[in-house]
Amino acid sequence: MAAAPLNDQCPLAPPLSAEHPVQWPRRTHARLSNGMEIVLAESRAVPKFTGQLFFRAGNAALSVRATGLADMTASVVRAGTAKRTSRQIEEDLRRIGADLSSGAGMDTTALSFDGLAEFSEPLLAMVSELAREASFPEGEFERERRHTLESVRIERTTPSFLASERLRKTLFGSHPYALVSPTEAQVRAYRLEDLSAAYQEIYSPAHALLVMVGDFQAETMLRQIEKIFGGWTGKKPAAQTFPAPPKFRGRGVSLVHVPGSVQTQILCGCPSITRKHPDWLRLALANSIYGGAFNSRLVMNIREDKGYTYSPRSGVNPLREYGYFSVSAAVRNDVVAASLTEIFYELDRMRALPVPDAELADAISYVSGVFSLGLGTQGGLLSQLGTVALNELPEDYLETYRGRVRALTASDVRSAARSYFDSASMQIVIVGDRAQIESQGALYGEITVYDAQGNVIQ
Amino acid sequence: MKPLRIQLQSRTLENGLRVVVVPDSSAPIVTVGVYYKIGFRLEPRGRSGFAHLFEHMMFQGSENAPKMMHIKLINSSGGVLNGSTRYDVTNYFETVPSSALERILWLEADRMRALKVDDENLRNQRDVVKEEVRVNVMNQPYGGFPWLDLPPVAFRNWANAHNFYGDFSDLDAASLADVQSFFKTYYLPNNAVLLLLGDVQMEEGFSLARKHFEKIPAGAPPPFADPSEPEQTEERRGSVVEQFGTLPAMAIGYPAPERRTKDWCAMAILDQALHGGRAGRIYRRLVLEKQIAVDAGGGIHYPMGDVFDYNGPMQMVTRIMHKPEISAAATLEEFDAVIREIQEHGLAADELEPLKIKFRSDYYSMLEGGMMPRYGLMHLLACFTLFDGDPQLVNTILDGFLAVTREEVQAAAQKYLRREKRAIVFRQPASTGKEAA
Repeated sequence: MAAAPLNDQCPLAPPLSAEHPVQWPRRTHARLSNGMEIVLAESRAVPKFTGQLFFRAGNAALSVRATGLADMTASVVRAGTAKRTSRQIEEDLRRIGADLSSGAGMDTTALSFDGLAEFSEPLLAMVSELAREASFPEGEFERERRHTLESVRIERTTPSFLASERLRKTLFGSHPYALVSPTEAQVRAYRLEDLSAAYQEIYSPAHALLVMVGDFQAETMLRQIEKIFGGWTGKKPAAQTFPAPPKFRGRGVSLVHVPGSVQTQILCGCPSITRKHPDWLRLALANSIYGGAFNSRLVMNIREDKGYTYSPRSGVNPLREYGYFSVSAAVRNDVVAASLTEIFYELDRMRALPVPDAELADAISYVSGVFSLGLGTQGGLLSQLGTVALNELPEDYLETYRGRVRALTASDVRSAARSYFDSASMQIVIVGDRAQIESQGALYGEITVYDAQGNVIQ
Repeated sequence: MKPLRIQLQSRTLENGLRVVVVPDSSAPIVTVGVYYKIGFRLEPRGRSGFAHLFEHMMFQGSENAPKMMHIKLINSSGGVLNGSTRYDVTNYFETVPSSALERILWLEADRMRALKVDDENLRNQRDVVKEEVRVNVMNQPYGGFPWLDLPPVAFRNWANAHNFYGDFSDLDAASLADVQSFFKTYYLPNNAVLLLLGDVQMEEGFSLARKHFEKIPAGAPPPFADPSEPEQTEERRGSVVEQFGTLPAMAIGYPAPERRTKDWCAMAILDQALHGGRAGRIYRRLVLEKQIAVDAGGGIHYPMGDVFDYNGPMQMVTRIMHKPEISAAATLEEFDAVIREIQEHGLAADELEPLKIKFRSDYYSMLEGGMMPRYGLMHLLACFTLFDGDPQLVNTILDGFLAVTREEVQAAAQKYLRREKRAIVFRQPASTGKEAA
């Protein structure tokens, strides 16, 4: 795109008016004597509230035992307690107008819920019961196991899943972040006692975080939380260390062969940083200019100019210990090489040339403005507060964010691109029909071909 | 129970554009939407997928904001934007810091007044749309199921039964002249509603709307094809091959009652009883108790919308993924047992109140959230304006659902969940090689 000021290209567009100040709501922080951390914020647009009870351990912590074990455990947690059957749990949730889900990511396990403000007490009591008194009924476990088996089969036919699974394996090697989903054999091998052992370890107030946003009075809510969760005890799971991920010199190409595929999923990535790293905002801004926004170079190039793809995007993916940068696009089979050329051209341009002032100003405005949109909903605010607390970011992170983004310069962007857009050593994954795309992929590095099950094929 | 009252006003400009303003200064952001009363249901014959392709063209440039300027001006204001094509409306919306409100209104007005696109833009977006269809449908397990699979089986009127994403041959045949004529016919101020929600004062909102939109000339009221369906007298069945997935699936659709009738309210509560998450009767029986299905869900206008946002024939749809070792016939038999039970016995005595509480809770969540802050409220206000002429319905529509009785729910089950009125589409994995029932 040309870098001329906006008003040259669009002289009639009205200028921005004076900004109204962004007021983040007051947060109430507390820690119960059992170690459980609490963050509350009031937000009254609708007579509802939403929350998440996090435990700071997930699938990575259990990976030596089995891939996906924390997620499987979370599925069965909501299927029965000492006091309620699965059916009662579901009917009781409905009776108070609530939704609840349980799940685990790499680094955390969470019970997520929302409900009517007038029923906050029974909903929190339900959350507490699931966190403390899950009963792991054999029949529910076998039902969930079958469900998971079918889900992992379907995952293996989904191009975007196959791409991200292969990229994670490549980028993380022996580190548990390499394992995004279990195999069918692993799911068949789960044992009920593994789930209850995982439950005993992970579901503990000593490393729990409860974040809630909604139509309540914070002091009253805090007393209610103390009453419900105060008597719970438990200890922190032992800290673990994991093997370091590999380092890369040069590009590598993995092709996941899906016969007859009418499109190719491209996903490239390289190691970058976590959210706690001092360069995080520089990287976030660089990413937004490169491919993180609709109005970004990658989208303009391979979608709006060339029409290769509907959905090109780049992203920064922060996990607790490591982060990675990635670029994705689902493209026509005959333009795989052409798309990769443009992906690398735009990466190299970010590394080589300073971002023009007007483009920088636009991107700063975008990144800082979009951050404030989190204020607009209870769920948006919950997600911001959860990010701050889980990453142990400073108390004033939300308030200072815009100012810190606005202070960034073209040289910050270029230094972030040079450090984290590792064009020369990007790991490339293409998922599609080998006959149509192998020669295109081979132009970019040594190519290894896999089937959808992850086996190398010749 | 705390009743929710949303403060809003609506007015009609001289050119027929309806404007709705909902001030709320709790955060310095504003959501703006422009809804045109034209969706994929009413696109021209021989031009399947055109309403959606046209939606893409609306981002390709207008007289004073050339290609990409629309997106660039919104992103660089700190905002996000999108558009979508539905059965009966096409919408364009953005959420921005309130300092960008006037800029957004100018942009929306410029493209309502004078779309300016060329053949190159059309070729480009035709390619983009084809990749969209590939990524969402053709290269995706269960892609388009059931939203693209069920209508051709269920309906006889082309308006309701055609491929809404578009056959590639129709997309290829679309010309710039088609684009211009579609724009002239349907993208008129008198066929649209403008919505402003958030950090804007009531009078400020209307005066900005007048300033930017009132001079856009009105056009002749667009001709709408009749979407009504001939009376259905026997069950309809169809089958689609699933190329990737390993689980057999089926979708069953029953006709929904006319909107804003007592039957419609009863059907919505019946829908909650059948499809309300894991407590819903279908999930409970097929997935939790009998364990013949791996997943089940559904609803009125599922999975594209809800009970409010359509304006013509519509279905209540159930989607079931069942175990390969269970036959389609046996799965359907269990489904039928759920339907029969509610037809014969109605709701349990203690079942109705929880259904209403959940319905109310879901309604509040819908108002607040969605793709962007206040998207749900905007969407509802737009539909109530374009289909019902009354945006204030957001404050009263709940009453009808909360007044439904057990008898009405049972009567709706008997009247609408009839075999001769339903359609079923089977999605059979190619790998099993078995034919559908």
